[in-house]
Amino acid sequence: MNLGFLIALSLALGVAAWLFFLWSVKSGQYEDPEGPKYRMMDDEDDDEKRQPPSRS
Amino acid sequence: MLRCDHCLLEFPEREAVRDELTGASKVFCCTGCRGVHRLITEEGLEGFYAGRRWDEVGLAADPDRPVDAAAFRESVREVDGLKELDVYIDGIRCASCVWLNERLLAKLPGVRFARVNYATHRARVRWEPGSATLEGVLSRIRSAGYEPKPYTETERQRAQDAETKDLLVRLGTAFFLASQLMIYSAALYAGYFQGIDPGLRRLMEFIALGLTLPVFFYSGAPFLRSSARGLRALRFNMDVLIVLGSGAALAYSVYQMLRGGEVYFDTAAMIITLVLAGRYVEARAKGRASEAVARLGGLLPREARVVAAAGPSPDPGSTSSSHSTPSSTATAVTRMVPLVSVQPGDLVEVVPGERIPLDGVVVSGESEVDEAILTGEARPVAKAAGAEVIGGTMNLHGAFTFRVARTGDATVLSGIIRAVEEAQEHKPRIQALADRVTGAFVPAVLALALATLVFHLARGAPAHEALMTGVAVVVIACPCSLGLATPIAVLLATGAATARGLLVKSADVFENVARATDVVLDKTGTLTRGRPMLREVVLFPPRADGAGAGWSRDEVVALAAAVERRSEHSLGRAIVEASRLLPGPDRAARAFRAVPGRGVSAEVFAPDAGAPDAGAPTLAATGETATDEAGTGFRVAVGNRAFLSELRVLVPEAAVRAASPREAEGDTVVYMAVGGELAALLVVSDMLRDEAKDAVAELRALGLRLAIVSGDGPATTAAVAARAGVERAVADATPVSKERELAHIQGTGARVLMVGDGINDAPALTRASVGVAMGRGTDVTMESADVVLVRDDLRLVPELVRLSRRTHRVIRQNVFWAFFYNVVAIPVAVAGLLHPIVAAAAMAASSFFVVGNSLRIGAGRKPLLRTPWNGRERATAPPSSRDEARGNVAGEDPMPPDGAERPAPCRVSK
Repeated sequence: MNLGFLIALSLALGVAAWLFFLWSVKSGQYEDPEGPKYRMMDDEDDDEKRQPPSRS
Repeated sequence: MLRCDHCLLEFPEREAVRDELTGASKVFCCTGCRGVHRLITEEGLEGFYAGRRWDEVGLAADPDRPVDAAAFRESVREVDGLKELDVYIDGIRCASCVWLNERLLAKLPGVRFARVNYATHRARVRWEPGSATLEGVLSRIRSAGYEPKPYTETERQRAQDAETKDLLVRLGTAFFLASQLMIYSAALYAGYFQGIDPGLRRLMEFIALGLTLPVFFYSGAPFLRSSARGLRALRFNMDVLIVLGSGAALAYSVYQMLRGGEVYFDTAAMIITLVLAGRYVEARAKGRASEAVARLGGLLPREARVVAAAGPSPDPGSTSSSHSTPSSTATAVTRMVPLVSVQPGDLVEVVPGERIPLDGVVVSGESEVDEAILTGEARPVAKAAGAEVIGGTMNLHGAFTFRVARTGDATVLSGIIRAVEEAQEHKPRIQALADRVTGAFVPAVLALALATLVFHLARGAPAHEALMTGVAVVVIACPCSLGLATPIAVLLATGAATARGLLVKSADVFENVARATDVVLDKTGTLTRGRPMLREVVLFPPRADGAGAGWSRDEVVALAAAVERRSEHSLGRAIVEASRLLPGPDRAARAFRAVPGRGVSAEVFAPDAGAPDAGAPTLAATGETATDEAGTGFRVAVGNRAFLSELRVLVPEAAVRAASPREAEGDTVVYMAVGGELAALLVVSDMLRDEAKDAVAELRALGLRLAIVSGDGPATTAAVAARAGVERAVADATPVSKERELAHIQGTGARVLMVGDGINDAPALTRASVGVAMGRGTDVTMESADVVLVRDDLRLVPELVRLSRRTHRVIRQNVFWAFFYNVVAIPVAVAGLLHPIVAAAAMAASSFFVVGNSLRIGAGRKPLLRTPWNGRERATAPPSSRDEARGNVAGEDPMPPDGAERPAPCRVSK
């Protein structure tokens, strides 16, 4: 494998991570940093009323 | 003492409310808690009790009281045909509370979505307009014992939120690019030591350049803008230093690339990234604190209950008569109207426990009003027809109607809010330490760079080389950890403060508190409890010992309470509250009679009221009994001296002598007669907080000068000042003169920390270097303060001073060490021997030190108390203050100081 390919691969992975980060900010995941650790322990995952509504 | 199964409050056994729902017998402190418990079990959410972690006992809200939906109406939005509301929920203490609120709301018919933010306690609720209502949603929250508070996003908040999000994206991008950049920099470092193919090296350098440019121009854009502004004003703030250092490193590297020298792209990118991280941390902490403060503040009214005009010209006489009978009050048409549309001359009705919405004159009805929040006067003021009422004050009991005199900007409250805005402009601001240092540092570095350039030119070096050596000085001098020095320390200090119950609203508070020289305290509600309490009982005839004639303190209190239980007077409530700590059941009263403004009397029977003729064993000390056909009892009269004289009770000279010094101190002396003879004087006053004396002593030990500024009268203020141990006291202060007094103190060069709780303190809190508001104040007060005490504990003030001083020390060290490593490396640059490794090492060393040093702030002393309001730990208060709390001359029984302090928020309904 040549070096050019590896560099391209590393940059591509980095860009993918960056885009993922941008998406997470946009979808409001940094607004309640405390919540997930408690919600994880919830038994009633099927309660559809508490799921975030799909953003239109 | 029993412990409430819902709110964990401790309470005397005879007040227990029992309930059996799921087989198990439960005990509650009040019907409100029972209601909440029923609601939770009926909805099948008992899991709440297993999972909760309650540090604070008691309910946040009275479940039975209706919610005033007016304040929320404007924040309801329309989304996809559904109504959406953002609302703060006060009283959330643990994850289970969030869980419970979400479930309870979701189970409400018509509610489609309910989610509570764990960090900010902000709930978003969506419901179908047809099947659920705003009132329904709000009262659902209230009925579970939580308090809904409106979340109205101001323009400023929205801008701040958007800015924080923008910072986060810039920071994330910078981190991503910088981490990629480090890979290529590492390759270049390795190439420097082990040799590298020139073509490959060129490739690495180009990639590094490509990664650095967006960091500088995109992530660094806020610094570029701010430094442009700073330079135009010829101010060398920190942003100028950042841009200068980072820009110099970037330009220098590009130049070196062309010449085949070493590059400093990593330095350029890291400076921006680390400073950005500091900025983000700061913005985040600030946003959180202001959310928490918004959640705490009590609300001022936004709607008034306007009485619809009966005829074309309602004359006061007829209106007043139509309201004097309960039946017509019920039929009188009132409607809630937004304050802006209320006109002077309108009639407004106020019900018990409500804040008076506007200024005016009482037309009908009678009540007592707590005006402490505006005037500082601790005693409730009686209001009858003709009396003036002020908007924002609290109606205690009794409904009345008043004619609006002033609206809008003309009200007293608006005047105070204007004074707050004016005080804002005069608030002394000290420049942050880091900014002060850079202000001197930047010109020094530029001068040094210029000197280096000249020196190398003089030595005969080529012009471009001399120039680049000069630039290298700028590159190495820029301490990138400087951007972290203050924010990291402030972040950790804010965390430590929050754990102690202190909400710090801005980053410069710690520096300001650390440099404070004076502390100015408000009296009512700050040093004192802000409500009347039974402080002392003077017995007549004086009883030397348990034996002999006369009544014991407990008997006196029990008898007086039996009568006062029927009255709604605030002094009576103080006596009743004191009696709740006594053992045994309550006495029954009969033939109750109240003379407004004078006193009350009744016949009091033994505890077992069913058999009044049983000889009243506990009260059989004297033979004086009034008899009638129903049995025997004691004729008890409680009131002022005139009231007792009317009942032909002889008031001995000794009693008057005992009363006058106490009255001079601002206490209220209530006379009490049993069986036609004076039995005791009950001294009721606004008592000093248990911890006030300790807090004052601690503040003095910290080297601060103390003063009291109060709106109350001179005698009362002086008495409280003496009890608390403060020498300087200013009385009769209006909201504006409080601010002026503060400005006067500051005029002498002092830096003042002001502690207050009322609206009348708001201008002074704003004017002070640091304003500290007591928790449970109004929104206006909390907005004007820099720090809010979440727990109503004065000892948090010295705690704040100590924490701030420690933080300030750490910031000073951080700033020093942030510069240190870079300054040490300057000679290398001056000599023209600078290498990227040196710059990277200086950067790493200083950042490491700054972060490590800051961690010491959090590792300080543990918070002094955990539970604030229940006072369970008040038992550890030193004996001196406990005696003060008891304040009784003749009381033999141990009267725990905590009981009287208990907030019992849900008992309001009784």
